[in-house]
Amino acid sequence: MRAFNAELSKLFSLPGIWLAFLIGAFAPAVIAALDSIVEKEEIIAGVSTRLSEVGYIGLGLGVQGVIILGVLAVSSEYLTESSETGGGQQITTSLTVVPSRLHFLLAKAGAVAVISILLSIVAIITTVSATNLILGQYVPAFEASRLIGAVYYWTFTALIAFGMTVITKNGIIPLAVLIINSSVVSFSVLLSKVTKLAFYLPDRAGLDMFMLMSDRFHTPFRGGLIMTVWVAVFFIVAIIIFHRRDVAV
Amino acid sequence: MSVSSSKKLTYILRAELGKLVTLPLIWHTLIGAFILNLVLAAAFTSAGLQEASGMQSILNIGLASMGYLQAGFIILGILATCSEYTGGQIRTTLTTIPWRGFQLCTKLLALVMITVPAAFIIAASGVLYTFIMMRDTTVVIQIDTMLRTLLGATGYLTLTTLLSTAIGALLRRTTPALVILLGYYFIVSPLWRDYLPGIRNYFPDTAGYYMFMPTSSDEINVLSPLQGTGISMLWTMFFFTVAIVFYRRRDA
Repeated sequence: MRAFNAELSKLFSLPGIWLAFLIGAFAPAVIAALDSIVEKEEIIAGVSTRLSEVGYIGLGLGVQGVIILGVLAVSSEYLTESSETGGGQQITTSLTVVPSRLHFLLAKAGAVAVISILLSIVAIITTVSATNLILGQYVPAFEASRLIGAVYYWTFTALIAFGMTVITKNGIIPLAVLIINSSVVSFSVLLSKVTKLAFYLPDRAGLDMFMLMSDRFHTPFRGGLIMTVWVAVFFIVAIIIFHRRDVAV
Repeated sequence: MSVSSSKKLTYILRAELGKLVTLPLIWHTLIGAFILNLVLAAAFTSAGLQEASGMQSILNIGLASMGYLQAGFIILGILATCSEYTGGQIRTTLTTIPWRGFQLCTKLLALVMITVPAAFIIAASGVLYTFIMMRDTTVVIQIDTMLRTLLGATGYLTLTTLLSTAIGALLRRTTPALVILLGYYFIVSPLWRDYLPGIRNYFPDTAGYYMFMPTSSDEINVLSPLQGTGISMLWTMFFFTVAIVFYRRRDA
């Protein structure tokens, strides 16, 4: 528990984390607002086809915030300080204080998960209110099960980002891969044109939890299950690697 | 010791090149971009082989991976400036080269010397792969069209790299620079395309697309390749000027 508190305090004192909060809390609302403006014109013109999707697209794209959170939580530990201040890494201090590597990793993952859950709830509140504000009487009902799916998607994406960064030790690769992959032009969409297996990639499966896309492949429950398996795989690999790796390198 | 200014330029350029070449991350990025681009080209080709194809589509398919490839060059540009700020390298640099604007310009020049051949080779490899795979199904390819498109693609990637370098020099931290640039190129810009169709042509990435995208009949091409180049260059120059102004005034 004390390790968990320490991890929370470390996360909140990272300067980059505020960028993650800002993006996570407001980007979905902005995207949903833009989408609602377009949608409203379509409703008035009577050609609206995707009213039930309004708002969710913001939650699907706004996942960037928690990706940054998950990556920063680990990459900040491995950041080498300037040689003028000794050239140390935070991870050596962290593991001196919490010698069990498994405990350290679990406490950190717990902190990341808790913050992502809170952040996704904030994002849902801002997104729903932005949609309500613009669409007025046309606004669709937001189903609780789909919103829970969105929270699940955000949290597990953060944990995947976390696990990937433990493996690579450097924030650049997971950040680039995950940000591109959660965008409109993701690798997974491209791959799903080539092979059906791409539907089992974590982001495609995860989106099925709350987006009712035309090319939907999984039921929400199965989507969640597939994402859980991905998180488990990343964590097992990360724990094994982290356990065997020399910290100083 | 006093040296003539042309000698000075050579020394500084050599130093900046040396710093870039010895960054392992730059090589990892370039090699990763090369391999990933080939994989993507293979994916696009196998998707494209199922459709009817012609001369345009070889270039279209071969360059379809450009959207992803630019991520590699964005990383390259950011690394070039932000690596100075992890640790105290920037202070050593400015002690030996006490002319800030001049130093940043030569760094850019050195980066161009690395980026241009790399971008050309990577873009050409994608097109070449598509060409080999689709040889049986297509008409004879015109070398000059292909060359012009490839040059456009190289120019686009180079300008993107330089823009990222300028942003990196402004922000001085790898993560925020990476988040902002990738967020812009991959999230904001595609959304803009849908929501604000009027002004999208004047942003650096969409203007840059016209540098290499072959003109297709079904889409209204608002900008000619030259106009596209001009607009992206203006953006790069603008950010670069801002970066130099801040760099000169700021405490290192």
